[in-house]
Amino acid sequence: MKDSMVTVSFEDQIAIVSLNRPDKRNAMLPSMLTELNQVLIDCSAQTQAIALLGEGKTFCAGFDLKVCAQDPSGKIMSELLSGLSTVVRTMRSLEIPVVLGVHGAAVAGGCAMLGGADIVLADQSCKLGYPVVKIGVSPAVSAAFMMASIQAGPVRTRLLDTKLVSAEEAYQIGLVHELVDNAESVRSRTIQIASNLANKPGSAISATKAWLNEIVSPMTDNAQIGLDVSLSLTGSHEEQERLSSLWG
Amino acid sequence: MSESTTQPVQLDIDGLIATLTINRPEARNAMSIEILEGMHSAVDSLSNSETTVLVITGTGRAFCAGMDLKAVLIELSGDASVGKQLLSSLAELTLKIRNLHQVTVASVNGAAIGGGCGLTCVCDVTISHADAKLGFPEVDLGICPAVIAPWVVRKLGPGVARRAMLMGGVMSGRDGFDIGLVDYLSETRDELDELTESIAQRLSTGGPKALSATKKLLNTIDGSQNDELVRKGAEISATVLATPEAQAALKARLK
Repeated sequence: MKDSMVTVSFEDQIAIVSLNRPDKRNAMLPSMLTELNQVLIDCSAQTQAIALLGEGKTFCAGFDLKVCAQDPSGKIMSELLSGLSTVVRTMRSLEIPVVLGVHGAAVAGGCAMLGGADIVLADQSCKLGYPVVKIGVSPAVSAAFMMASIQAGPVRTRLLDTKLVSAEEAYQIGLVHELVDNAESVRSRTIQIASNLANKPGSAISATKAWLNEIVSPMTDNAQIGLDVSLSLTGSHEEQERLSSLWG
Repeated sequence: MSESTTQPVQLDIDGLIATLTINRPEARNAMSIEILEGMHSAVDSLSNSETTVLVITGTGRAFCAGMDLKAVLIELSGDASVGKQLLSSLAELTLKIRNLHQVTVASVNGAAIGGGCGLTCVCDVTISHADAKLGFPEVDLGICPAVIAPWVVRKLGPGVARRAMLMGGVMSGRDGFDIGLVDYLSETRDELDELTESIAQRLSTGGPKALSATKKLLNTIDGSQNDELVRKGAEISATVLATPEAQAALKARLK
């Protein structure tokens, strides 16, 4: 497990799951997402809540675009999109709550993970957003879960505008539920909330989570369509041209 | 006056404004079968009324403390069906309130807890004061706020509603204002009645047809006409309520 891109530890009744590729700002690779998905599923069978975090200076910078730029076929980009969609859907469908603590930056695929979490914390100086259209990638993959979290107006702006927003702005639109004073405190506060949830009656929590999922299912049922839209652009000329101009 | 104030639910009409007062202060206006039946008949009587605004409030220190927990503790009531009956009645009441042609205003004078807080979310406008207590502590008691969840999601948006209902606990009127649970806030309880009065007056100046047509459209757009979702929510709440875990947690709370 030492070289693993996803670490997990257990504390009381919770699992602490961390993205662990700090030298690359926890940039996502297909194998990382596969691993994360499996870890989340395994944890849900063993614990009452999950605290999801990132190691190092930032939570997650999104997909590893350097790797994508070296793959003209678009296959890696497709695997990343599918993997991300699966992880977000898993987070949402688990019986136990997922508390996500982001710090530094939660960008693109990293920001998409907010859509699957039940409770989201961010430090005051964190930057968030989906600046992906400028590299020819469609954030459609994230749209359904964003719609099932925040109001439709801000979803549109955040997915179409490449600007990153401050944690304060993200809090204002409901993308973040709690602001933490500094990045160092995100971990402890996230663990604290997860422990708090783990100590509540489990069947009431899981019944409530499942019912909330069902209420918003008219929106989240579109998740596959969103993924298909994002997949339809992979390997396209526009995407490859823009990726290679940045990373080639 | 003394006669009307002994009614568990009081309905007063003043011009275009109707006021429904939950009047069970000794039990923090908790929803018993009797209270719910009183609210049903008050709301029913408004369907042909020419009033354009309905204000809902509570007598005493609480707005509504939610479900009558003593009634739903099977060991105490000796009747496992009471919880289901209460939840089903609450579900139907919320549907009726949402479909009223009047603009509905919750004037949250004090604690609005669980189902009581859900009741505020069904209303079109919520007014409260900075020190009121609002929230959804159901999960803390091992029960599930499913019956009111559709209204909370529509009021707060799904993400904020998810956080509020999974985290449990209660919040101040000011914090409720910050997350959109409260639309208008007075600094103190003393200022609430005047604020409520001025907002109700302002709302009542709207054209009756324009108000009801607008409400109907908003109900269509936001899925409020999905009655089955609320009824299913009541069933889920009832199922969780009957579990040994929930009953044990309720019993501990009532000790």
